[in-house]
Amino acid sequence: MEVKLLSAKFDIKNSHKLKTAKKHGAYGTLDKIFAMKPEDVIEEVKKSGLRGRGGAGFPAGVKWGFLPKNTGKPVYLAVNSDESEPATFKDRYILVKDPHMLIEGIIICSYAIGSHDAYIYIRGEYTTQVKALQAAIDEAYAAGYLGEKVAEHDYRVDVTVHRGAGAYVCGEETALLESIEGKKGQPRSKPPFPAVAGLYGCPTIINNVQSIASLPWIIENGADAYKAYGTEKSPGTHLFGISGHVEKPGMYELPLGLPLLEVVEKVAGGVWKGRKLKGIIPGGSSTPVLLPEEAKSVTLDYESMAAHKTMFGSGGIVVLDETVDIVQLVKNLIDFYHHESCGQCTPCREGLGWMLKIIKKIVRGDGSIDDVKLLRELCDNIEMKTVCVLSAACTMPVRSYLDKFRHEFEAYVNKNASSAVQANQE
Amino acid sequence: MSDRSQLISTGKPFQYDQQRDAEFERLIKRYPTRESMILPALWLIQEQEGWISQEAIAYVADRIGTFASKVYEAVTFYTMYQLQPMGKNHICVCRTLSCWLRGKQEIVDYLKNEIGITPGKVSDDGRFSLEEVECLGHCGTAPVVQVNGEFYENMDVDKLKALLATLK
Amino acid sequence: MADKIKLFVNGVEVEVEAGKNLIDAIGAVGIEIPHLCYHPALGADGNCRMCLVGIEDGRPPLVPACKTPAQAGMKVLLNADHIKKIQHDVMEFELINHPIDCPICDQAGECKLQDYYMSYDQRESRMTVPPVAKNKKMDFGCGVVHDQERCVCCGRCVRFCRQITKTGELGIINRTDDARVNIFPGRPLNNRYALNVVDLCPVGAMTSKDFRFKQRVWFLKKDPGICHGCAKGCNIFIDHNRPKYQDDSIYRFRPRLNNQVNGYFICDEGRLSYTSENDGRLNDGRIGGQVRPLVDVLAAAGKEIERAAKTAILLSPNCSVEQMAGVKALAEKLGATLSGFSDGYIKAGDGDDFLILDDKSANRAGLALLGIDCSREFFEKAVQEAQLLINFNNKLQLSYSADDLKKLLKDTRIMAVTTHDDQMAAMADLAIPVASFSEYRGSVVNCDNILQSFAKAVTRNNDLAEIGAIAAQLGSPLQTEAERFADLGKYIGPLKNIEPDNIPAEGLNLNESEATNVKA
Repeated sequence: MEVKLLSAKFDIKNSHKLKTAKKHGAYGTLDKIFAMKPEDVIEEVKKSGLRGRGGAGFPAGVKWGFLPKNTGKPVYLAVNSDESEPATFKDRYILVKDPHMLIEGIIICSYAIGSHDAYIYIRGEYTTQVKALQAAIDEAYAAGYLGEKVAEHDYRVDVTVHRGAGAYVCGEETALLESIEGKKGQPRSKPPFPAVAGLYGCPTIINNVQSIASLPWIIENGADAYKAYGTEKSPGTHLFGISGHVEKPGMYELPLGLPLLEVVEKVAGGVWKGRKLKGIIPGGSSTPVLLPEEAKSVTLDYESMAAHKTMFGSGGIVVLDETVDIVQLVKNLIDFYHHESCGQCTPCREGLGWMLKIIKKIVRGDGSIDDVKLLRELCDNIEMKTVCVLSAACTMPVRSYLDKFRHEFEAYVNKNASSAVQANQE
Repeated sequence: MSDRSQLISTGKPFQYDQQRDAEFERLIKRYPTRESMILPALWLIQEQEGWISQEAIAYVADRIGTFASKVYEAVTFYTMYQLQPMGKNHICVCRTLSCWLRGKQEIVDYLKNEIGITPGKVSDDGRFSLEEVECLGHCGTAPVVQVNGEFYENMDVDKLKALLATLK
Repeated sequence: MADKIKLFVNGVEVEVEAGKNLIDAIGAVGIEIPHLCYHPALGADGNCRMCLVGIEDGRPPLVPACKTPAQAGMKVLLNADHIKKIQHDVMEFELINHPIDCPICDQAGECKLQDYYMSYDQRESRMTVPPVAKNKKMDFGCGVVHDQERCVCCGRCVRFCRQITKTGELGIINRTDDARVNIFPGRPLNNRYALNVVDLCPVGAMTSKDFRFKQRVWFLKKDPGICHGCAKGCNIFIDHNRPKYQDDSIYRFRPRLNNQVNGYFICDEGRLSYTSENDGRLNDGRIGGQVRPLVDVLAAAGKEIERAAKTAILLSPNCSVEQMAGVKALAEKLGATLSGFSDGYIKAGDGDDFLILDDKSANRAGLALLGIDCSREFFEKAVQEAQLLINFNNKLQLSYSADDLKKLLKDTRIMAVTTHDDQMAAMADLAIPVASFSEYRGSVVNCDNILQSFAKAVTRNNDLAEIGAIAAQLGSPLQTEAERFADLGKYIGPLKNIEPDNIPAEGLNLNESEATNVKA
């Protein structure tokens, strides 16, 4: 089931070094790119149907097409390497194992959108990864792939790595821009959209690392070849991360559209220790949970996920076995989102703190059924009333746990602690 | 998150060492605004000193030419910036979702109960400090622990014991 | 005037100004959209979420009104059930961590949370867990006291210091519900407009040390006035009250919006100058330093004037133009020289490029319009040649040192018609107390040639006559207020055919032509 488009070089020794990367085709698309017109590059990417791999799934080529022409302002490219969504651990492989693929993708995108300055926003915790990335960038500059004349073509591309410092919210595109500008990562209201007024008020394209890193393969092999993988509306491949209670957790590149349960079984070895499946989080902690019955008909693409009232997200699959205490799990999630709230707008800032206190009260054994109902109501009261979707990233999954596992919450408040499941939690 | 307002004053003015000074000058050229240097400048301080003092924040604000309140905002917003001296080996244990599912609590409990390190405090011999952090992006090899920038994956108490023994 | 467009609010068609955001556009036709973080002088921030309104058939269907420009045909939903629920919910989030400080909070009575709770919420609290505790009663400098628990993180104070004064002392630190306003240690508020954050703050998070615990705002009468601290003529509210068995006194000045003059703000010095309306006043008539009934003082004054072969009259640059007219008529009647010499009121270099001016007098332009000589030579010559100097409230001690003043006036009889028991009153042979600017009706002309009128605000128990009335008692042919105002037409063209009540609220711009200004 696994394929190797993006991960083609991951298992090659020293794949991160320029010499090895070049032997296996790195920077091979540059001459082709610079012979094309920028609009044609955008068209090719549009044709490929590549959807943003950060979680939103917006078609990349379409996003590039939103850039206004002839504003007189510089165009910027921001590469989102914040990767902080729990259960997501794919982009760092690119940074460590094939950074030159990313750099090549940056050059392709920069040329297509008319940008000369790219900023890679990398989360602060990725210390080893940022070293590997910077080393590759230095190699690229030395070899003339970055700088005033990319590969001797009359086009400048400069890349600067900007480190974050511990804020999940900076994965949100406008918060990321704020952070590059030196401010707190507090998202901006949209409109205006970054394509119109982004970094330093200039037209800006922001794409996830994996999206950008997908570009060399698409240009090399063509949009049609890319569409041969995946489904019609969700073409291509994705670096799926499978974690939690499975035998073989890890990162696996797969075409989109495969059945979820089959992937868990055949690729990740199924639920560990011979236990039974309790639920699956399909695309990162922000996605509503799927019950085993529901998961049976789910395929790993945007449309199937939406039809099952959840989301493809970042493709971070988490498997929950029968021992998981859902109430404790929800506390763990709310704790995360509350900790990461930027504090800008009222419903998220105050509401998530309130939700955390309520769930802690329930876990302590002091909760009532009214607390459970209030927690459920707060999901509705907060969601979509905020500047950004961090609040929804909390309320959407929490709502799904409250709805699908209500009996576990009721067990806590009925003080039937023995009927609440024992698990390896605090 | 808890309140990070309290800054520690060293009583001495802060200065970059030669290496960081040069790096500051190199980096500032890569941004169209000086304020973009706020996060990189704070990282340089932390690399040099291990933590960020009140004087260091004022220094950065004045050198960049921005309001001290803006740097104060950034240094308290981004939780990786340490506002107090940490142990020589700062142990970060991921506490979110997949690491939680696969046993991070045993690791935290061991550090608390056996080694006596609690979050936010430095061990008596100054060797260790502990912080429970959010998802570190190594969910496939959970539980993960990060010490001095290095990732230690598939951790359990035994592996942790071995690791601590190697840390001076 | 801007273009008008038609849109719908709750299904009813209204006409609003194009190009404005929905809060301002719809607010101008009398429909309130509640909001905390938006302020016209600071722009929209979009963080409070109180102004969320529905747009029928809109994409998106829920928008913050502060960031949404009014467009023709827009169908705005305010009264819809789902919008009302959102207003409830946002209020609930604002209140869960808000301390119940109302009984001890200065903001009570003019607090947006109180007002919006009564208008848009009125539900009981569902908070059964401890609220977030933060720091209270923090000294931020410049007389600003901050309470972090009351704060709703609207950011107005931060934006004020960054956008308006450009001094940037304030910031909102931390994230999550630990977010709070603070100053950087050792760098407190340090600008001449800092107290404006007290007005900007929609709740009691920013309060004034000067006003702390002094008065409940619902007891205050809030009368419009004009600050007399400098020639800018900022518009103010004079907030005053007469507590039982006491006197009508002023508790504070607050800025009043005037887009032509000061916008939304005033400087701290002007704000705190209310104390000089209350304190150090001359309340009694005096002859030779002894308190005497006013009727006796006025009789003595009449005799002084008759006795003096030549009289010199000095006007304060703070007098209203009506008072100046009355005194000028008096001078003409008596054949007296009239001067407005007041160089000492000008503090060179003190002004800035915002609201503060070097000239600390309110109506120097009025002296110029009435053709009153303000030169030192003219004044000193007039004093030398006269036996009597009638000083209408001019603080000569600002223009001369104590010794020089004594020397200048050593051979002159001095009649001080003054508001304050100061050096001039002490030096005077006769002292007549008069009303200060908050206690009379009049007009002043500011540095930009804008004439602004103000009404009487404060009525003391000892309600003193104002300078125009005293001039009349001393013999000025302009005996009434109406006569004094009508006389102004001689000197100020635009006032020729205008009633005093018809002077525009934002002031009469004397630079523009009569045709555009005058309302018949």
